[in-house]
This record gives sequence, C-alpha cells and structure tokens, in this order.
Amino acid sequence: MSLEALEGKTPPFTRGTFWRLMRYMADHKVRLAWALLLLGAATSADVAQPILIKVFLDRYLIPRHFPQTQLIELAVAYVLLFVLTAAFNVAQLLSFQQLALDIIQRLRVDLFDKIQQLALSFFDQTPVGVLVSRITNDTEAILDMFMTVLNTFVQNLTMLVGVIVAMFALDARLALYCLGLVPIIVLVMWLYQRMSNPVFHAARQRLSLLNAKLNESLQGMAVIQIMRQESRLRNEFETLNESYRKARYRNTQINGILLRPLMEVVYLLTLMLVLGYFGGHAIVHAAVNIGILYAFVSYLSRFFEPINNMLQRLNSFQQAMVSAQRVFQILDNPSRRPQPSSALTPQIVRGEVRFEDVSFSYDGRQEVLKHVSFTALPGQTVALVGHTGSGKSSTVNLLMRFYPLVQGRITIDGTDLAQFQEEELRQKMGLVLQDPFLFVGDVASNIRLGDVDISDAEIRAAAEFVQADTFIQRLPQGYHAPIGERGATLSTGQRQLLSFARTIVRNPVILVLDEATASVDTETEEAIQAALAKMRHGRTTIAVAHRLSTIQDADLILVLHHGEVVERGTHQELIARRGLYHSMYLLQQGHEHEASSVD
Amino acid sequence: MSERMDILRVFLDLMWFFRNHQRRYLSGIIFLIVVSLLGLVPPVIVGRAINRMQHQTLTAPVLEEYLAIILVTALSSYGLRYLWRVQLFGGSILLATVLRDRLYEHFTRLSPEFYQSHRIGDLMAHATNDVQAIQETAGDGVMMMVDSVVSGLAVVITMAVVINWKLTLISLLPLPLMAVVITHYGRILHERFTLAQAAFSDINDRVQEYISGIRVVRAFGQEAFERQSFVELSRDVVEKNVAVAKIDSLFDPTISVIVGFSYFLALAVGSLYVVHGTMNIGNLTTFTLYLGQLIWPMMAFGFLFNVVERGSASYDRVQQLLEIDPQVVDAKDALESVPSGSILFDIPSFRYPHTGITVLQSIHLSLAKGTTLGIVGRTGAGKTTLLRLLLREFDLQEGDITIGGTSIYAYQLQALRQAVAYAPQDDFLFSMSIRENIAFQSPDASLYEIQEKARMAGIHDDILDFPLGYDTIVGERGVTLSGGQKQRISIARALLAEAEILILDDTLSAVDARTESAILNALKRNRHGRTTLIATHRLSAVEHADQIIVLEHGRIVEQGTHTDLLQQRGRYFDMYQRQQLENLVQQGGVAHES
Repeated sequence: MSLEALEGKTPPFTRGTFWRLMRYMADHKVRLAWALLLLGAATSADVAQPILIKVFLDRYLIPRHFPQTQLIELAVAYVLLFVLTAAFNVAQLLSFQQLALDIIQRLRVDLFDKIQQLALSFFDQTPVGVLVSRITNDTEAILDMFMTVLNTFVQNLTMLVGVIVAMFALDARLALYCLGLVPIIVLVMWLYQRMSNPVFHAARQRLSLLNAKLNESLQGMAVIQIMRQESRLRNEFETLNESYRKARYRNTQINGILLRPLMEVVYLLTLMLVLGYFGGHAIVHAAVNIGILYAFVSYLSRFFEPINNMLQRLNSFQQAMVSAQRVFQILDNPSRRPQPSSALTPQIVRGEVRFEDVSFSYDGRQEVLKHVSFTALPGQTVALVGHTGSGKSSTVNLLMRFYPLVQGRITIDGTDLAQFQEEELRQKMGLVLQDPFLFVGDVASNIRLGDVDISDAEIRAAAEFVQADTFIQRLPQGYHAPIGERGATLSTGQRQLLSFARTIVRNPVILVLDEATASVDTETEEAIQAALAKMRHGRTTIAVAHRLSTIQDADLILVLHHGEVVERGTHQELIARRGLYHSMYLLQQGHEHEASSVD
Repeated sequence: MSERMDILRVFLDLMWFFRNHQRRYLSGIIFLIVVSLLGLVPPVIVGRAINRMQHQTLTAPVLEEYLAIILVTALSSYGLRYLWRVQLFGGSILLATVLRDRLYEHFTRLSPEFYQSHRIGDLMAHATNDVQAIQETAGDGVMMMVDSVVSGLAVVITMAVVINWKLTLISLLPLPLMAVVITHYGRILHERFTLAQAAFSDINDRVQEYISGIRVVRAFGQEAFERQSFVELSRDVVEKNVAVAKIDSLFDPTISVIVGFSYFLALAVGSLYVVHGTMNIGNLTTFTLYLGQLIWPMMAFGFLFNVVERGSASYDRVQQLLEIDPQVVDAKDALESVPSGSILFDIPSFRYPHTGITVLQSIHLSLAKGTTLGIVGRTGAGKTTLLRLLLREFDLQEGDITIGGTSIYAYQLQALRQAVAYAPQDDFLFSMSIRENIAFQSPDASLYEIQEKARMAGIHDDILDFPLGYDTIVGERGVTLSGGQKQRISIARALLAEAEILILDDTLSAVDARTESAILNALKRNRHGRTTLIATHRLSAVEHADQIIVLEHGRIVEQGTHTDLLQQRGRYFDMYQRQQLENLVQQGGVAHES
C-alpha cells in the first residue's frame, strides 16, 4: 500500500493556503492588534536593556564617576525594564494563544457545518478515519502553527528587527556588517527546509504505518496465533520499525548538521567579526567604546536564539500547511446534500408514496435503478425484494432524499419530494436502518436522539409498543443504562428493538424499513416480527425484505433485478406466476421435503 | 529531595541498554563535556580583548591570535556537537526501536486471556506514548543530566576560580529558584496537557461516532443537536488548552525575570569590585557571558526532573507489561510432531479464568478421524468455547482433549495449531490484498492454489468483480466487503492451510442458502478422510454431519445424527421445527390459495 494512499492525496501546498488561513485572523483584528502591541512593547523593553548597561559602562563605570541618584535611577530603570519585558511577554503570549484557539474553534465548527451539508456520496467515498482525522488532527496541526509557529515567527522577527535597529543606533557600520548575516541565515533555512522536509515526512508516514500495523496486529492477534504467523508478522513489524528508526536517525543527523550546532558556529564567527572590528579600531585609533562593544556582544546572543527557534519550527509549519490544504479541500468540496427546491412548506398527511419512472446512478455511469414506478396508497405496505445489489437500498436512499433525484419523479401526497422542508421529511418519514447504529449515551438518549420535545413517558410508551420495554427494564439502570460504543453491550436483536423504538416515538406517517439480515435467536426474531407488524399498522410502509416470510401480507411486492422491476403483485399472484419470486421463495424454503417427511 | 533522586533510578533501569551501547554513550557524553568545556573559551577571549582595548595594549598579532582561537573553538565544537547529538539521540531512537520490537514480540506470545482483560487502546498507548517518554529520557534526559551537572559545574567552577568566587555566589543566588520554578510549572503543564489531550480524545471519539452514524443523524434530522454537542466539546478542548496556555505563557518570562536579577546582581556587585580594583571590566564581561551560559544548565536541571519522572513511570508500565507471562505455553519436552487421528473431548467442566463462570460441563465426546461434527445451540451455549479449547486458546482446568490418543497438551502449541485450520466467528481480515488474506496462513501458496480454494469457498466470482481482483485491498482503504464475503474469504483461508482438522465457527451465518450448500458440498468432496467441526445455529449447515451435538448452557443435551435427533423429538427437533415453521406456513399458504 502506497504511503500516499495512507495520508490521502493532497495537492502541493500553495501560497494561497497560507493567506487563506491568515484570513481567519481578520475576524479578530482588534485582539490581533492588541497582541501585536504587547509584543512590540515587550520587544522594546527587552532591546533597551543592553543600552542601559552601555550607558552605565561608558558614562559611569569606566570614567569612575558615580553620582548616586543617577545610578539608582539607572538601576531601577533596568530592573523595571526586565520585569516589564516579562509582564508584556506573558500578556502577549497568552493573547496570541487564545487568539489561535479561537480561530481553530471557528475552523472546526466551519468544517463540521460543511460536513453536515455534504452529500452522502461523499461519505461513501471517504473512509471514516480519514474524515475524523481532518476534523481533529489536521485542525490540531493548524492550531500548532497558529499557536507556536506563527507566534515564534512574529515574536522572533520583531526581536530581530529590534536588535538590528538597536545595533544601527549604536554603530551603523558594524550593524551593516552584521546584516551580512541575514543572507547566510536565509540560506541555512532554505537548505534545512529542503533537506529535512522529505525526511521529516517520511518519518511521520512510517510512524503511522507502524502504528497501524501494531493496532491491526493487536486486533487480529487470535487469528495470527492460531494461524501460526507470529514470526512472520514479527519480521514485518521489525522491518517497518527499522525503516522508521532510519528516518528518525536521518532526521537527527540533518538537525545536527544544520540546526543549533551550525548556528553556534555562525554566532562565534559573528563574535569574531565584532571583536575584529573593535580590535582593529582600537589598534588604529587607540580608543574604543567598551560600552558599545558590550552591548553588541549581548545583542548577538539575543539575535541567535530567535533564529534557532524559528529553524526548529519550520517542519511544523510545513506540516500545518499540508493539513490546511486538506481541510480546505473539504471546505471547497462542491458536493451538497439535496436541498428543498422551494420555500413552500407542504405537509405529509395521508402518506401516499409514488415513484414515477425513476432511474438513478451513484457514479453517473452505472445505473442502479431503471424506470422504477409504483404507488403506495395511504396505509399500504409495498415490499421490495431481490438479491443484493438489485436496487432495493437505492430505492430507500432516494425516498429518504439521501441522494438527489435526477431522472423521474417521486411524490408524497402528490407533492414533489424535492419540495419538502428537511424537518417535515424527517418527522413524518421514519426510517429503520439495517444497521441499528447506537450512540454512546444511555437507552433513553438513543431513543430520543437529541429531540428534547420527546418526554420520558413517550419514550417508555414507544419502547412498550415495540416490546423493547421488557429487556430495558431488566437492564441494571433501566432507561438510563449506559450504552457503550456502537451499543456493544446489547445483543443484535436488542439493538434492533431499540432502533424500532426510536423510529416509532416520532410517530411517522410513512415507515421505511430496511430489514436487517443479521441473524438473531428465534425468540428475539419473534419479538421483532411482532413489533414490525404493530408498527406497520395504519402507516404507509416501504419495506426492503430479505426474508420473504416477513412480507407475505404486503399489498404490493416489487421484485427487483439489476435495478429493474421484473415482477410485481401480491404474494399469491407472484407465487402463481412461478417466476423469479417463486424461485427465490423455493430457495428460501430449502428443506421442505425433510420437514414434511417428519410429519 | 530523596523522592526526587528516586526517579533518577530509571537511568539504572536502563543500564542494560547503556551497557550494550557503551561506546556510543561514553563517546557521546565525552563529546558533550568537551563541547561545554570549549564553550568556556570565547568569554575569556572577549574579556581579555576588552582589557587590552581599555588599556590600549592590543596589537595586531594578539588580536589575530584571539580570533584564531575563537575560530578553532567554533569549528571543533561544531563537529563535536554534531557527534554527541548523533550518538546520544541516535541511541535513544535505537532504544525506542528495541522496546517496540520487544513489546510486539511479547504481544504475539500473550494468550487470549490477556487480550480479554486489556484494551487495545491502552496497549497502543504503551507502545507509543510510553516508549516515546522512555526515548526522551534516554536522549534528552541524559543530555540534560550531563549539561546540568557537568557543564553547569564547569561554568560555575571557572567563574569562581578564575574570576571571583564571591561574585559567583552572589549572582548565582536567584538561579536555583529557576530549577524549582521549571519543575513546578513543568508538572502543572503536564497535568493540564493531559487533560487537554483527554478533551481532544473525547471530540475525536464523538466525531468518529457522528460520521459512522451519519445516516441515522440525517434520517432523524439530528443535525442541530449534533452540532451543538460538537461545539460544546470543541469549546471544552479550547478551555483545556487555554489552561495549558496560561502556564505555558508564564514559562519563559518567569525564567527571564530570574535571569535578569542574576545579571543585575552580577553587574551591580561586579561594578563595586571593579571600583575597588579587585576586578577589571574585561573580567566582568567574561563573567556576564558565563552567566549567560549557565541559563541552559539551570533550565536543563528543571526539565530533567519532568522528563525523567515521565520516563520512569513509563518504563515501569512497559516493564510490568513485559513481565506478564503467557498463560498458554508448551509443556516441557513437548512433541514436535503434528497431531493426527480421532479427537476425544473429556471435559468435566471448564470456566473462563477471568470471569470464573463455568461455561462447559460434562462434555464427553469422541470424533473419529475423517468425520464431521456439527455443534448447534444458541449464542452463549458454549459452541465457540469448545472449539477454542481444541485450539488451546485457553487451557482446561480439569479433564483432557486428545488427538490420536495423545493429549493436545503434550504437543507443541505450534504443532497442534498446524493440525487445525480455523475459520473464526468474527471473520477478521487484515488490511492487505484479498490474495494475501487468503494466503495469510500459507504465504507461499501459488495464485492457482489460492483461486482453487476461493472457488471452493464460493468467493472466486465475487473477487473477480472487484476492481483489482485478487489484488484488491480489504478494509477502510480498499473495498468494503459484506459479512458473507468476509466469511467466505475466511473459509478459503482456512481451506488453503490443508490441515487435517477444519473448524468453521458459525462462518456460514451470513452466506445465503444456495452458496452455503455449494460450500458444504465442496467440503465434502475435497476433505475426504479429514475431520471437520462446524458450529452453527442454522441447522442446514450440519444436516449431513456424521454426528451432531446440541449444547445448552454448556452441556450436551442431545447427540446423534440429523435423523436420530429428529426422531428424538427433543431440543433439536424443536429448533428444526421452528426453522421450518416459516416455510411450512408459507407452503400451506400457497397450497391453499393457488
């Protein structure tokens, strides 16, 4: 499996990505200005300190001139300066970090809102893990950039400018020489960026492969052991582990060549420059301003620390840009869930469902539904049967308006499906899904599903109606029994009954059943069938059935094959026809002769 | 402080590694020390130059000599800095690699009992976070210890001996405060950071759940509720991070204030000495430069405790994990030969070790070589447990299971498992190609053999329909397989092992009736003379078995062939009746109406 596939495809990052991120700061202009002001104040106070010492050295210590009041004032000013520097810095750092956190909060909510608006086809194509990673990990990487990278850069650049200004004030010529350093530093940064980036990313990708391997091995350990593949997998893991080690080692080497060690050399070379400059001056002119020399030497150390910091952040910056690119890719995704086509607010009252010549394709190429037409009169049950892939679920997807309809027409109570408002559809159409997905919470919250208007009594009534009440009562905390991840604490049948309750509590006019294939024990199965029969009573029902036994009393059965309705009629009519339905029926019966021989 | 020192014990714990890589660590530490000694040179040069400049005794040759010394220092410490990093950090990376390998190896030896009482997420955390913390201890930790102790002392001694011990004492007064502050902040920071991580993990779980359940969310119109919950969680993340930021923002400024006081004392008191003539300005400059060089060792001293504290806790956790012994092990002098022959179960009772609940009772059963055993019963009746005992996933507390008259406990585990091919209930597939999945147990199998077994398992045609055929990747990053497809791949995988004993643990439940009977027929044709065990709750899968047992609450309640059992008119008959009932009703319905 290629590394690229693992990380998800990302176009190379462009300058636009960076500026687009920066635009998120525009909402916080005042706070940003305030943070910058504090930063400026902190830097000025910091840069002023060596100047005070220079004054002290040149004006008082070297000439041995000690006017008490001036010296005290100088001392107080010096102490005040570094205390102020610290105070401004605390305020500045905090406001930058808060700003960053607020921006990320905004970005996360924007992303979430976008995801709510995406068409379901997007989710079909994107693995869950990847999408989760976009919302959490990628935004976290961007947060890191706002919080530390940007902050470091702004702070350090300000510091550099401050130091350079101070140097110019002290000795313009020497300052000019020192400026010669800037191209060298830029060159080092460029080199580092070029050399370390591929290695840094390789290390990251190998680490995620390594962790994926470990995670999967732990999940499938029983299989690995029973199939005696321990040593093979150990070798595979060791190979991956070693390749990760190599990448990390290479990273350490590059850091050792280009980061702090190199900057220390540059620092000492600059120190030589300063010393040589003043020394040369001293040899020629015999007099030298020691205070300025002292100040220069202190500035040098202040000059290099920020550069070291910036170099260390370069990798995170690159990473943040990659993440931002991915986040923007989602924000720019043109796919959109079907929207109501008008501002009208038609109501679903009777529950008449009509498909008129509906054709559909997920990918625009392969048609999964071809010219499907049928009518379910209020209170009737229409059952869809057919093999996997015959188009049963697609019919449900269209009726639920999960996917936009392109060809044909679906109406409810004579009104185009597209015209209904979202709330109306979701309230009046109750869907029971094949996979009774449960959320972490408790039994009641899984029936309520966020609708605060549903009372506890209604929840209980719904549970009683679908006969889920019995098992719920037996749970240690009844309706408040906690439900773990994906409802792992409940059996498949119990999960199904709960999902019935959540549908029926909303009292839908139309019931859409996507029957479960999973096998449950016979008693639960009976309870499920009884509940389904009760639920269908008095409601228009569109049911996808896998077991023909459950839909024998349907008013209309549609037999789908490769997206087409190949047979239609009641159970008896279809059996009499001896067609596809009949053979499916025979197949499901299987062993009738043996049963009759027992009789 | 003794408690403090106690955590340094982790360095002793890691001694085995340091000793194995003696050269690397010794040279790394020596280079690091030499670098810090070299660092003592430039400040002296600067001080001397200033003195000569002030007294106008600086000549061109002297200046050249000074500059040359700095240049040599610069270049040699560049090389040494590179070297110690590569040695020490390289060593710590190696340590992490070794630990990960060890953990993985250990994981592969631990029995199912261990996995039932440990969560995968926790095990992952040990292999990632804990290993990371140990790595930091062996890299940054060692470096900080050397820097804070050796370099710090070297600078302090030089300041005291070469320049002025009284001034050294006075100006160092505020610095110990720094180590205290850093340790303190470091700890709070770590605590708050852990909280922030937990909040982050909450939102991660929530989003994961939301996306997995997106259809439910949309079908029930829960969007607003979900949004609110997301906003609240992400706000919580922000709040926890602001708490971190608050300490984080205090960190550097606090240090700079302490350092500031130190400088101030040095300059103020140092000036007095200069005035009194006990010191010159050059020395004072050298002194303040040294003071600057002390900041890092002091900070390192503070960081050291946090790094080591975390590393020590992590090392203990990893060590504890490594000390857990596998529950299922080979007996002394275990047989290397692969068991063969009829299977005998003689189990008075069996209970799972971690729950203590008895799951099997009085199972006495013999199964001739080459026959098929059907095991039926409800979920939880003990079907899977019985099969897992045969595979020695768990060991019996009493009784025995024999193959060909020899106890399975007398064989090596690997030999036993070579005799058995297993298609498990939860049809776990790896995220590799379908081909690799089928050949998981037999990596050397040819494509022809793989396809042959796939055909037998009734999955060949399905596979050819996938975009890349047999090379299609399974799972999140490839195709999503249906339950039935997974089961059939898992059957093909078991068939490819060509073992004498085949176990199908409810592996046909999601397969449709026609495919089921095709698979069963293929099995019958191809596994002549070999033993098959099929657990199921669908009776059609075991109808043709030579022997069927009905399990209820861990006991065999009925036993015999399909025909026998039907005649007994007991539980099996009831189950059969119930499964037939639907069909009978349907048939009756049709018969009367048409």
